[in-house]
Amino acid sequence: MTEIPNQSNKNPARQNEFILRLLSLWRGLFSVLAASGAIAPWLGIFPNLRLWQGLLLTTTLGLASIFSAIAAAEIIKRRHKGRTISLFIDYLGLVACILIILQVGGVFIGIDALAEVFGRSILFLLAAFVGYLISAAGDYFESRSTTQKILRQVGKWIVLIGMVLFLLTANIFQGLLAIINKLANPMGITAIVSLIIFGLALWGMWREPTASALKAKTNHEQMLNGWLFLSPNLLGFLIFFAGPLLLSFYFSFTDSDAFNTPKWVGVENYAKILNITIKPLAAPDQLAREALDIQVYDEVGRIKFGNGGILFGAEDKLFWLALRNTLVYALFAVPLSVIPALLLSNILNSKLPGMKFFRAVYFIPSIAAIVGISLVWQWLYNATIGYINYFITIGVEFWNNLFNTGLIDPKINWVSDEKTALLAIIIIAAWQTMGFNTVLFLAGLQNIPGELYEAATVDGAGPWDKFWRITLPMLAPTTFYVVSTTTIQAMQVFEQVFILMNPPEGPNNSTITLVLYLYRSGFQNFKQGYASALAWVLFIVIFGLTLIQFQNQRKNSLYE
Amino acid sequence: MLTFFALVMIFPFIYMVATSLKIPADTFRYPPRILPRDPITIAVEGFKDPLPLYYVEIQGQKQEYALAKSNIKVGQYADPGNPTITAERRLTEVKPTGGAMNQKTATINGKEEKLFDVEVDGKTIPMYLASQTTVGEFIDPKNPSSKVYQNVRLSTPVENLSSHPENYTNVVALQGIDRALTNTALVTILVVLGQLATSIVGGYAFARLKFPGRDSVFIFYLGTIMIPFVMLIVPLYQLMVLIGWTDRLAALIVPWMFTAYGTFLMRQHFITFPKEIEEAALLDGASRLQILTKIIVPASVPALATQATFTFLYAWNSFLWPLVIINVGNEKNHVLTLALNVLRGRASDSPNLILAGAAIAILPPLVVFILGQRFFVESVASSGVKG
Repeated sequence: MTEIPNQSNKNPARQNEFILRLLSLWRGLFSVLAASGAIAPWLGIFPNLRLWQGLLLTTTLGLASIFSAIAAAEIIKRRHKGRTISLFIDYLGLVACILIILQVGGVFIGIDALAEVFGRSILFLLAAFVGYLISAAGDYFESRSTTQKILRQVGKWIVLIGMVLFLLTANIFQGLLAIINKLANPMGITAIVSLIIFGLALWGMWREPTASALKAKTNHEQMLNGWLFLSPNLLGFLIFFAGPLLLSFYFSFTDSDAFNTPKWVGVENYAKILNITIKPLAAPDQLAREALDIQVYDEVGRIKFGNGGILFGAEDKLFWLALRNTLVYALFAVPLSVIPALLLSNILNSKLPGMKFFRAVYFIPSIAAIVGISLVWQWLYNATIGYINYFITIGVEFWNNLFNTGLIDPKINWVSDEKTALLAIIIIAAWQTMGFNTVLFLAGLQNIPGELYEAATVDGAGPWDKFWRITLPMLAPTTFYVVSTTTIQAMQVFEQVFILMNPPEGPNNSTITLVLYLYRSGFQNFKQGYASALAWVLFIVIFGLTLIQFQNQRKNSLYE
Repeated sequence: MLTFFALVMIFPFIYMVATSLKIPADTFRYPPRILPRDPITIAVEGFKDPLPLYYVEIQGQKQEYALAKSNIKVGQYADPGNPTITAERRLTEVKPTGGAMNQKTATINGKEEKLFDVEVDGKTIPMYLASQTTVGEFIDPKNPSSKVYQNVRLSTPVENLSSHPENYTNVVALQGIDRALTNTALVTILVVLGQLATSIVGGYAFARLKFPGRDSVFIFYLGTIMIPFVMLIVPLYQLMVLIGWTDRLAALIVPWMFTAYGTFLMRQHFITFPKEIEEAALLDGASRLQILTKIIVPASVPALATQATFTFLYAWNSFLWPLVIINVGNEKNHVLTLALNVLRGRASDSPNLILAGAAIAILPPLVVFILGQRFFVESVASSGVKG
């Protein structure tokens, strides 16, 4: 009688001991495997491997090997650190295996095949969604439990049927077969086997008995949970954001062209971008080749005064033109979309009926696709049949009739005249971002306590005084936010120019912008190293502008 | 003033929808008109096809006449002896003076001109052809024998309001917009779901779980929010080349499932959630994942809807990255913005088709906005400013 509990107490303990031993053995084995993997790239087994890929592989596997060895030692000493490291390594291994399986199995690429039939199957997906809405609608009938029950049941069935039909019409079986087929090779099978091993190791380490044998505490659990929850986000962020960012920095010092091995060129890209010269002119219209070394420099622009002037030359003329255009664009587009927004929000802030409607209407332009918007404006700007010129004609006629003047209808060639091309883009930008900014200002206005205005009214302040003395200073944080985000956006203007202008850089390069130039260099001339350098210069410009605004805001808020 | 601004804001959309329903000739009319119109035709006895109706002026009165025949050549004939005597006759009505074989001529201003017999007030005068135009023969539909001749191009056609929704089917056939639409929907759905999933768990970890390294990772996230996307375009492209995703829809989806900004917003939201409820659930033995999916997520529907709408708009409207990664020739995998870009060149002479395409791209987000507007406008504002 007394033996039975003893044994059942003893058996799990022994089992646990066995698992722990197995786990430490696995750590040791993994350490050796990872170490050999780290050396492999340098033995010439993979001739196609690029230098940075080899380095990345060696660093990752080397670190994994070292930590795995440490973990093995820690597990033997029964310390919790070993469990933590173990879980980290096995989890990362598991994720890597899943990614490899998805990639080798063609799941990512298979999205194209799904898109092929998605037009058919999307209706069933919508049906499933409607089913979900029905079951959710059940919550509104909490008082009538039978209605709620029926709605939930009906909704559930619709979701189920919709999903099944969706999967069937999306050729789920064919897809699965294709995936299995693709996985049936050494690479795929290795990945699956490793997946199972990592999974087992994770399970063995995560179990309650293992945890208690390694003296796990609540804060340990919280830490593991924290990293686990963060991991999908963090891994994606590292792979698709931080990693590429570093890579971009590296590329900016190379002559990378996306196909050949990049060669290190040092700061050459940056030097070319920033190489400018300023020369005095003997006469205002002196030829550029007389003043400049045209082997190196191109004329960017000139300032004329008296019987001379100053000539600006640069090695990369297009960059400086793009910088000029982008800055001019931002200089006009930002105030034009911020100041009217500020005034409008003050009007909208009144508690009159219909304000919600107006707010929604103002918001609409900012949610529409810029590409579509630009196409619409392209026809509005049309010089002969467009509405803009038509309105101008009407306005001019009206003015002439009213004041008996002889103004001439300008008939502007909006997009094909280098004087107005950039203006056309600015008008679209102001139109598009104004509503969004208005809503942001409105939110800021609602945070201003009403007592301030009441006190001001008691002191006899007029509406204008209130606006200058209360509204503006109290809105300063909102204004800073609005101005800086609008500026950051404006500095990246691309779509409007690309769609509206033909060619995109506009007549006589009058609308070439920094992002457009970056796109040109990187993806039409495939000078990707140079484009990376351009990207960093753009970043520095944006960062500098934001910093200036931030300083400004801080200085202004001192007066409060 | 508010109404004026509202009109300015909304006018391009009205123009877009109206023009997308026009026939090509109507789109090129000057002065432009908003609403789509069609010329009216009418069946007239003795004519196989219905005839277009025009306004003609008869004795100072505007009447509707049908155009029976166009391109009738009319000559302005003048007397060589006295150029003030002129007559307008159809070319087929006059006969050469002296017969076709032996036509007489006269020299006018040093130029030799052929002479024709023209009847003026019962007399036949040899005249030369001074100028020539084409006119149309307009007849009264009720009384086809009543005819009027006038220049067709200068006449105003009788029109009525009508719409041509077939422009939409035409643009679908021309550019495969339907495929682009389903591609965009697929990409957008997956990006929204992926972003929500990763930023919910990530935001929860940042807001509620204490672990070493959390705060430094969070500061790192914050620091990257300001970095513009164009910084990444070159290295991301090379990454896609490396793993064979160029020209694939996967390249439009997977990299966009992770967002520092969205995670930040979720964290800001979750941090306001009362801790007591969570602790009570923990004592009841719920796991963290259960707490998140059963308690916190259902309570955060407005915030999630806002972020979903944001992401939806961003994914739906994105252009530069698809332009870089999807080949122009690979129309199977085009999203709407790319299809529009190609359509712009392909249908450059038919604004009705281009604007129909633009409407297909613009209207779905508009619908989403109107549906989600209840939370949207408010929380855009608050999340933006407090951020």
